[in-house]
Amino acid sequence: MRRIKGVRKTVALGATLTLAALLSACSNGSSSAGGSKTVNWWTWDDKQAAAYKVCATDFEKANPGTKVKITQYNVNDYFTKLTAGFVAGNAPDAFQNSVQFFQAYASQHQLLAMDDYIKKDNFDLSRFSVGVDAWKFTDGKQYALPLDWAASGVYFNEDAIKKAGYTDQDVKSLNWNPDNGGTLGKMIAHLTIDTKGRRGDAKGFDKSHIKTYGYGEIASKDFIGQFTWNPLVSTTGWRLGDKTTWPTVFNYADPRFVKTMDWIRSLTDKGYAPKIGQFNDSVSDVDLLSSGKVAMETGGSWEASTFVKIPGVKVGIAPTPYGPDGKTRSVLSNSNGNNIWAGTKNPDLAWKWVSYMGSEACQSKASLTGTFFPSIPASMDASAAALAKTGVDLSVFTDMIKDKVLYPSPVYGNGAALQDAFQPLFQAYFAGQKSDSVFTDMQNQSKQLLAKK
Amino acid sequence: MVVTSQGEPKTPTPPPSAAVTTTATAPGSTPRIRKTRSARRASRYAPTRSAAARRRDLPVALLLIIPSVVGFAVFYAYPTLRGIYLSFTDFHVLTPPHWVGLANFHQMFGDDVFWHSLLVTVYFVILAVVFGTLASLVTAVVLHRVTKSSALRGVILLPFLISNVIAALVWQWMLDPSLGVVSLVLQHLTGHSILFFGSSAWAIPSLAAISIWKWMGYYSLLIFAGLQTIPSTIYEAGRVDGAGEVQMFRRLTVPLLRPILVMVVVLTVINSFQVFDIVQVTTQGGPANASNVLQMYIYSKAFRQFDFGYAATLSLALFALLITVTFTQLRLARANESDLS
Repeated sequence: MRRIKGVRKTVALGATLTLAALLSACSNGSSSAGGSKTVNWWTWDDKQAAAYKVCATDFEKANPGTKVKITQYNVNDYFTKLTAGFVAGNAPDAFQNSVQFFQAYASQHQLLAMDDYIKKDNFDLSRFSVGVDAWKFTDGKQYALPLDWAASGVYFNEDAIKKAGYTDQDVKSLNWNPDNGGTLGKMIAHLTIDTKGRRGDAKGFDKSHIKTYGYGEIASKDFIGQFTWNPLVSTTGWRLGDKTTWPTVFNYADPRFVKTMDWIRSLTDKGYAPKIGQFNDSVSDVDLLSSGKVAMETGGSWEASTFVKIPGVKVGIAPTPYGPDGKTRSVLSNSNGNNIWAGTKNPDLAWKWVSYMGSEACQSKASLTGTFFPSIPASMDASAAALAKTGVDLSVFTDMIKDKVLYPSPVYGNGAALQDAFQPLFQAYFAGQKSDSVFTDMQNQSKQLLAKK
Repeated sequence: MVVTSQGEPKTPTPPPSAAVTTTATAPGSTPRIRKTRSARRASRYAPTRSAAARRRDLPVALLLIIPSVVGFAVFYAYPTLRGIYLSFTDFHVLTPPHWVGLANFHQMFGDDVFWHSLLVTVYFVILAVVFGTLASLVTAVVLHRVTKSSALRGVILLPFLISNVIAALVWQWMLDPSLGVVSLVLQHLTGHSILFFGSSAWAIPSLAAISIWKWMGYYSLLIFAGLQTIPSTIYEAGRVDGAGEVQMFRRLTVPLLRPILVMVVVLTVINSFQVFDIVQVTTQGGPANASNVLQMYIYSKAFRQFDFGYAATLSLALFALLITVTFTQLRLARANESDLS
């Protein structure tokens, strides 16, 4: 038993695959029997799984004899399970996918190109305002319909702001620069309170005993920083890749980027923002704000209705700060895609379901829950109007579209390897174990990893 | 569970034919051994009869070993060979493996993360072995010398009954910097809390502590069993000669326990080299690779990045490493004569 770990691992994989094959044999048998056809659709978001049930019911009504089975797996297991499904031949007919894994799956021929269907049905891709190009592969084919779009905004505790002598308008007109943090930096310092009640910019402030951090977890582990540092550094004109799609290098060594990281590290060093690992991963940013541990933080747009509905805490939403020039906002937006598996037994039906999900009818209904922002503008408006009635004001995010603040997330290959290579380096940098030179190394490393197929 | 080191690496050889016959014909436990021995002795005097018997037994013998041979071939031999093959390929599961020769090995020797994770693993093993063995020894001796209550002796085994994942989860909550009970107590006493899993310096010691806590009861029990084989007359003699408890522990208990201690160390080393589950649950190799043990690195290469070829290469390196360690330890364990006899 203690023999060889490697062997054990291989055995485990073999066993998993065998088991998966057996299971798939069973499930295929049962779905074909009885004459009704089933479309399996997977997502990693429990809230979207619930939201799309409405569409599934409508779809089943419109197509008698078909069934839609929506399954959700936690994001930590989702992609492993999906890959096991590809190998074993029991992957879902269609599934939600992240750009991070697009290249890996497309280059290994697991995704169905949708061009033929799009042409046949005269499906108009221009109905989507964002995300179409993110799902075009290097061969020029369209492999997914965009499911949603996400941006980042600033969420703040209204009471904390008021007590510190600010107004909501102050938060909405903040500016930032990498040298001294601008008005954002001042506000963060003032919002931080130690256990004795002294503010971060007051005399005698004790940085090792913090009651409330002025800003959330901005020292981030992820290499894009979409909901942490990216909305700040991109106001300087910095972009992650040398091109938007299939970049060959990530610009980590750019002085604008390095200065931004230095500023962020100074925040955690001064006790204005929590260090990485200060809070367990299972503590969400919603928990941080609702428990009063932080006064203000950046977060994802899909969290807006959750934030606003925190009982007992009044949460305001503001756009991310202006850049050094005082008038540029810049927010990265990404779109998850709706893929069809190349190995599906019912490609026609899978397309029917995926294209229905990409219709205004489905998107308007499903997005009423406010758990995601549809890529179709009309649906987005409908969703925003409906949520406004329940007290959730999404105008901060809808204005981002109108003001052209958004820019698309880069589409890159080898995402998992990039994440695994850079996460420890970011951690080491923010923990003070590495100096600025780490970013030059990272830039060099990114060239190799991005070139790898 | 871990198997004891002695005896296991021997390849399964078919039992001497005479033994099979006698076992089949003579039920009953104690006499069986005697008969087997006498039969073996008899076979020395009548080789022709034994050869004939062996031939007749061959089909039955083959039939009897089929289950274990099939199991061994399917679950050990084939995966091992395939793993070795894959380590020379570029393999991403979804497309067939593609032969790259020694490229993976070149990559491995130049891979800083690999060497780092090897060091991290060794660090973990050293901590777990040294402190684990010491803690188990002290616990066993205290149990042996102080209490006779079997309930108390049973309690010490409790952590061993919990699965690794549960143990890791519970400790993760207790050590949580903002909510954990350990951190609250620490903050009360010292005014500071420690990022047990969140800081590079503490990650491996924290993990080693969990591992020690979990396995201590089991090893204590083994040592305890060893202690019971030491006759009390020896201690009486020691007492007559005027030795104190500490002196008796150093001069009598430890030397007489040597065979058991060697076994416990061997088990701890093997066990600690396999650490994975508690790392996966708590730190997942972080922060900044500080707890990225080899198993964790292999896992993330294979199951996160789908680079199965390179992961197989890393596994092969671990295989070589474990063989070396095991071999050395078996050598040591051969110094197995008890000082009692």
